[in-house]
Amino acid sequence: MQCGTALILGLKTILQVCSVALLELDNLNIAVASKDKLLPVVHDCSLSLAEHETLGIVGESGCGKSLTALAIMGLLEGSQVKITSGSIVFDGQNLLEMKPSRRRLIMGDRMAMIFQEPMTSLNPVYRIGDQIIEVIRQHRRISNQGAKQRALELLELVKIPQPEDRINSFPHQLSGGQRQRVMIAIAMACDPALLIADEPTTALDVTVQKEVLDLMLDLQQRTGTSIILISHDLGVIAETCNEVAVMYRGRIIEKARTRQLFSHMAHPYTRGLLASIPSVVTDTDWLEAIPGRVPTIDEQLSGCAFHPRCAHTKTSCSQTEPPLIEVQEHHAVRCHFAGEI
Amino acid sequence: MTVRATIYSIFRGRKLATFGALWLCVIAIAAIGAQFIAPFDPLEIDPIARLTEPGLPYLFGTDHFGRDTFSRAVYGARMALIIGFGSVIVALVCGGLIGLLSAYFSTLGHFLMRIIDVLMAFPALLLALVLMTLLERSVLNTVIVIGIVYATTTARIFFGMTLKLKNEVFIDAARCSGASHSSILFKHILPNLWSPLLVQASFIFAFAQLQAAALDFLGLGLPPEVASWGNMLAEEKIYITRAPWLLMFPGALIILSVFSMNLVGDAMRDSIDPRFKNDIAGV
Amino acid sequence: MADQPLLEVKNLSTHFKTKSSASFTARTVVKAVDDISFHINPGEVLSLVGESGCGKTTVGRTLTKLTQHSIGKALFRGQDILPMSQAQFRPLRREIQMIFQDPFASLNPRLTIQQTLAEPLFIHKLVSSRDAAIQHIKEILEKVGLDASIMKRHPHEFSGGQRQRIGIARVMIVQPQLVIADEAVSALDVSIQAQVLNLIKQLQRDNGISMLFISHDLGVVRHISDRVAVMYQGKIVETANKHDIFDNPQHSYTKKLLAAIPKVPTYQGALSHAT
Repeated sequence: MQCGTALILGLKTILQVCSVALLELDNLNIAVASKDKLLPVVHDCSLSLAEHETLGIVGESGCGKSLTALAIMGLLEGSQVKITSGSIVFDGQNLLEMKPSRRRLIMGDRMAMIFQEPMTSLNPVYRIGDQIIEVIRQHRRISNQGAKQRALELLELVKIPQPEDRINSFPHQLSGGQRQRVMIAIAMACDPALLIADEPTTALDVTVQKEVLDLMLDLQQRTGTSIILISHDLGVIAETCNEVAVMYRGRIIEKARTRQLFSHMAHPYTRGLLASIPSVVTDTDWLEAIPGRVPTIDEQLSGCAFHPRCAHTKTSCSQTEPPLIEVQEHHAVRCHFAGEI
Repeated sequence: MTVRATIYSIFRGRKLATFGALWLCVIAIAAIGAQFIAPFDPLEIDPIARLTEPGLPYLFGTDHFGRDTFSRAVYGARMALIIGFGSVIVALVCGGLIGLLSAYFSTLGHFLMRIIDVLMAFPALLLALVLMTLLERSVLNTVIVIGIVYATTTARIFFGMTLKLKNEVFIDAARCSGASHSSILFKHILPNLWSPLLVQASFIFAFAQLQAAALDFLGLGLPPEVASWGNMLAEEKIYITRAPWLLMFPGALIILSVFSMNLVGDAMRDSIDPRFKNDIAGV
Repeated sequence: MADQPLLEVKNLSTHFKTKSSASFTARTVVKAVDDISFHINPGEVLSLVGESGCGKTTVGRTLTKLTQHSIGKALFRGQDILPMSQAQFRPLRREIQMIFQDPFASLNPRLTIQQTLAEPLFIHKLVSSRDAAIQHIKEILEKVGLDASIMKRHPHEFSGGQRQRIGIARVMIVQPQLVIADEAVSALDVSIQAQVLNLIKQLQRDNGISMLFISHDLGVVRHISDRVAVMYQGKIVETANKHDIFDNPQHSYTKKLLAAIPKVPTYQGALSHAT
């Protein structure tokens, strides 16, 4: 009897592992080549994303959040930035060991990305319909007519009014919000399993931002896509994601389920970040700002990356770098004094 | 130290440009110390030694008056430098001012830039020829004419870059501080044009050599008695079969110098300010 | 005299003519700012909020005379600045200063910090000698939280937050009466934004400066202002003191705007991080 239960439990775990993790980053290290040395920009980044989940990566500029996204997408190839170690397992395959030609088949098909600037990521000389059709036909054997039909469906899906007219528009004829919708349509063209959105609403007004975020969540409900949302805005992350990873200076310093994070912030940086945001709901007279500035990537720092700005720094903070420790189930923090402060 | 660092950044890894710069140094030394380097007076006629082949004591041989070609070439280097620097100054001062003012004061710009457009419609050499026929042959006039010809392109480039710069936020900030027009133009805009200005100067310097040689060759440039490479070519062209060295030496000097200046200019453009690459490509 | 507003804007409109895409000759008139009125009392912070293209930036540029073609009145201490020529306006520039959004674009890359900060001092004849200017610059740098030793350096050596502090120093060094801050903290990272907001608020209070704070970020606006004017498509749709705007909005657009903001769950622990 007991044996049977154990077997079932074991099977369950195996099934969970197989079905749950769509994407696994394991100790990913990224460095940028500068003159004659490699400057590390992302340190031991480990993340996992289950199907139908939304993971938010939050941090300030230069924290490595965008580079992580580009690494997953495979867009670092040929740049100054190199992946130095670690693995990116997507759908059970290690993307870093894959041939570039095979990897390109996944990009835009099983995995798609939307960027911050909807104007520059659309080609200004092609009609938006043609740009959607091009992506579809790159990955699917489908007639031009069929692809056009699909493009119309997609435009409808992203709630562009009068898709029959809009399909013949050029990017400059659309508003910023509509262009971002078109970008989402292109990204969703082949029903990707993973959608990476790098600051998708930063260039948009708040009212449009809300529409675009609602649209992304609505699409996720319908298609079951997993989403990685990268943002500097804790509010956007809080309202959109199930899970959050906070990055600082290339390290994940805290990761947790969203609700857990906002009820028990454990890392001083995460707390400082939240305290830095003036609230729209309550009055603040003074902001508890984090002192100092983010060190540049070529500055050498020993110990915890945050110790020069931290109010709780003790001697050990400047000597050894803290590991990412689980303080609770699903809640990991990179701080020596995670449970105490 | 910063000058050394700049020079290092320009020539590092650019072998051809380094060679060009070295060659220009040789020309500059020859030009400055012409009276010490040249073994003979460039104007001294020795009828007995007419059309001597290269050798000793006439390193590059002699021309049909028996003048020492080497000495004339050395003094020609001096003339090349005068023409080059003179044209650069005229072109940059005139063209730069026109471009700067036209972009900053748009009403004036409408008027001035149309004139520049008309002048630019003429091919450079044709414009220079027309202007030279109106003037007497002299060193100063040649410098002025070549300067004016290249002032047109300089004005265009400065016009474009000033238009961009005057909409920069830091210009608005200067206006908010109460800065006057002249302070904005010369303290805030002009210093941001130094690097393209330098690059433009190097190209004008090179093209001025070609232009001056062409004018000399056509008999419209420097007065015939002046020892310049163009004049040497012009005077000795009929001896091309009997004494080819008379054309070979000045011809090679012109080609090498123009080529070197262009290489240095390219290197400066690429290293100092890659942003302006496209603005200058049209020269 | 005491209750007279420092700045009173009456029926201000700014129209731009743009070339129509339909034909070469037809021109359409865009009403960037359409008949707006507001006032700012001495020592008061009025925020102008709205989304991109609502005309809020044009208002700021009109009041600093960086943009022309306006009709209406803008009375600064009772004196209408709109009909003034640039030369007539120059003495007033000392009193009406502007903080710009982009700290990377608003400093001349070729000038040292000292040159940048000395310029307004000499223009407005606030100092007579170089030594006096340097003394002033040292004091102001200290006030904005920078070290005096940075004077000889160029803008590219500084981070965004430091540059914005330099921009604020350039404004504060002439002791203005009215500061127009156009998205002054929008380009900064959250943690730096908080520092700079604190700095602006402190300087504003210490010197009793009136401020027109132009922003799209409602959290920042709630933090810094006394009163708020909401702009939509060139018009001011609602003006009220900040509690009324945020806790009891009247206009439908204000309500929509407030509803659209992603809310950060408040967490008490966040406020105690510095303790």
